[in-house]
Amino acid sequence: MSIEVKDLSFRYGKILALDGVSMRLGEGAVGLLGPNGAGKSTLLRILLGFLVPGRGEGRVLGFDIRREQAKIRRAVGYMPESDCFVAGMDAVTFTAYFGELSGMPRQEAMKRAHEVLFYVGLGEARYRLLDTYSAGMKQRLKLAQALVHDPKILFLDEPTSNLDPTGRREVLELIRDISANKAIQVLLSSHILDDIEFLCETVVILKQGRVAAEGRMDDLRTIHYSLYELRLKGDGEVFRRDLEAIGCRVEVMEDGLVKIYTPEGSDRMDIFRAAARAGVQVRYFVKSQTSLEDLFAGVVGVD
Amino acid sequence: MATVREKGYTHWDGRLEERRLAWYPIARTGIQLAFRKKAFKFFFAGAFLPSFVALGGLYVSERLEDFKALVKSNKALLAIDPGYFKTFMTNASALFALLVVLVFAAAGLIADDLKHSSLQLYFSRPLRKRDYLIGKMAVIAFFVLVLTALPYLILVIFKLIFAGNLKFLAEYPWLPVSILGWSAVLTVFFAFYFLLLSASSRNTRYVTILIFTTYLFSDALAGILHQIFRTPYMWLFSVRANLQQAGAFLFGVKLPFAFPAAWSFAVLACVCVLSAAVLSRRIRGVEVIK
Repeated sequence: MSIEVKDLSFRYGKILALDGVSMRLGEGAVGLLGPNGAGKSTLLRILLGFLVPGRGEGRVLGFDIRREQAKIRRAVGYMPESDCFVAGMDAVTFTAYFGELSGMPRQEAMKRAHEVLFYVGLGEARYRLLDTYSAGMKQRLKLAQALVHDPKILFLDEPTSNLDPTGRREVLELIRDISANKAIQVLLSSHILDDIEFLCETVVILKQGRVAAEGRMDDLRTIHYSLYELRLKGDGEVFRRDLEAIGCRVEVMEDGLVKIYTPEGSDRMDIFRAAARAGVQVRYFVKSQTSLEDLFAGVVGVD
Repeated sequence: MATVREKGYTHWDGRLEERRLAWYPIARTGIQLAFRKKAFKFFFAGAFLPSFVALGGLYVSERLEDFKALVKSNKALLAIDPGYFKTFMTNASALFALLVVLVFAAAGLIADDLKHSSLQLYFSRPLRKRDYLIGKMAVIAFFVLVLTALPYLILVIFKLIFAGNLKFLAEYPWLPVSILGWSAVLTVFFAFYFLLLSASSRNTRYVTILIFTTYLFSDALAGILHQIFRTPYMWLFSVRANLQQAGAFLFGVKLPFAFPAAWSFAVLACVCVLSAAVLSRRIRGVEVIK
C-alpha cells in the first residue's frame, strides 16, 4: 500500500475536520471526492506533513506521517489548488529552483526543468516571466514543479481549475499518461466529477470528515445501487410512489425517460411488480451504468 | 500556447540529496532576484559612496603635506581612529542608504510569497520553517555585510597600505572585530526587522511604506518625547538612535546619548524576539490555512 491511514482525526480549533478516517490506497490514480468542507485538503496536508493529526496514524510510501515528513515530501510532488509562483522568475528558473529545494543537484535540476516544461507544453514559453503567464499556463507550471524531482506520488489539488475546455482535456490526458504509463501514483482531489471519472480507477468519497465510500469505481457503483432506465405507457405517478415506498429514487427526464435507482439488495423484479400494481406498461427497459455523479449524490446525499 | 507533451516524460535517474544547507538555494535566489531590479542596482551602487569618501579621507590623512591647502584647520576630522570608522559606518545617512537598499532587496521576501501563495510550494519540499527563514535572512545578511563589513575591512587594509606599516593595526587591534561586530548587529537586527514587516502584508508597496514609516516615525516620536520629557531615555524609542548607540559602544567611542548602551541592545533584542515570535506564528498560519 502506498498510502495507508488509520483512525485519522484533526481539528481546526473547535471544528472537527477529519473524524476517524481510515483507508488503504494502492497503485494507480485515486480520486478524493467530497463537497466543500469534507476534509479533502486537510487530508492532503496531513499526508504531506503540513499538519499533525490529533489522533491516528498514517504512512505514505512506508514513511510515517508524524516522524518522517521530510522523506515524504522528497518522494511526493504537490500541485496546490491556488495559483502560486515566485514573482520575477521565469519558468525554467522557477521549476529548477523547486527541484533544487527537493534535493536535486543544481545542474541536474536545471536540465530536468527544461524536460518537464517541454512535457507540460510550456517549452516555448519557458523563458517568459511568470507574471505574464495566463491562468492555464500557471496551472501547467504547477504541474511541472510537482514533477521536476520525479516523484513517486503526485498529490493534485483541483488540477483543472482555471482551465478552458481544451486546456482541461490536455491536462487530464497528461495526468492520465503520468499515472497509467509512468509508474507515478496520482492522488487527485477534485470536485469536478468528470475529471475523477476520466482519471481514476479508485475513489474515496469524504463527507463531513469521514470516509463515506471507498473502493474501485466499478465496485462502488454495483454495491450501492443499480440504475435502470425505462419508458412507460400509462399514469406513472402511482408507479413512482410505489417504488419510492420501497426505497428507490425515481427521476423523470424531459424526454419521458424514467431513471430508477434501486437500493442495495433490491431486485429488478420489484420494478415490474410495481408496474403491474400501477397498471402501467413498460415499453423500454435497460440496466444503465451509474455515473460518478449518481454515486456521489447517493453517498453524500445531495442532488 | 504549445500543445502538451511536446516531449515524452522521462524518469530522472539521479538521487535526491539531503542538503545540509537547505536554505542556501533560497538565499542565492533571493540575491539574484534583487539584482534583476534596475532601481536596486542604482541604489546598491550608491550605497558604496560613503566607503569611497572614507577611502579618500584615509588617503588624504596619509598625505597631509600634499593636501595642506585643502585640509587647513580640519586636521581633527582626518584623525584615523575607530571614531573615524564609526562616523562613516553609523551616521544617519549611511544607515538610511542601507535601509533603502534593503527595501528594494528584502521588502518582498515574505510578502511576495504570501501574495503569490508560494509558501505551500516551499513547505511541500523537505524544508523546515527554520530553513525558509534562514534563507530569507541570509539575503539580508548578504547585502548588509557587503555594504558594511566588506568595504570597511578593506579600508583597514588600505590604511595599512597607505601608511606602509602595521602601526595602525597595532594601535587598534580590535578595530576589525568592532567592524564585524557592528555589521553583525546590523545584520541580525535588520534581518528580523525586515522579515517582521515583510510578513505583515501581502503587498510589497505597503511593506515598503511600513518600513520607512516605522524607521522615520520612531525617530520623530523619540525627538518629540525628548523635547517633552527632557530625558535622553526617550531616544530608546528611535530605531536609528538605538543602532547608533550600539555602534558607538562597539567602536569604543563616546556614546551619542546619555544612557547605557545596554538599554539600546536590550531594545534591539526585544524587536528581534518579537519578530521571531510573529514570524513563527505567521509562517505557520499561512502554511496551515490558506
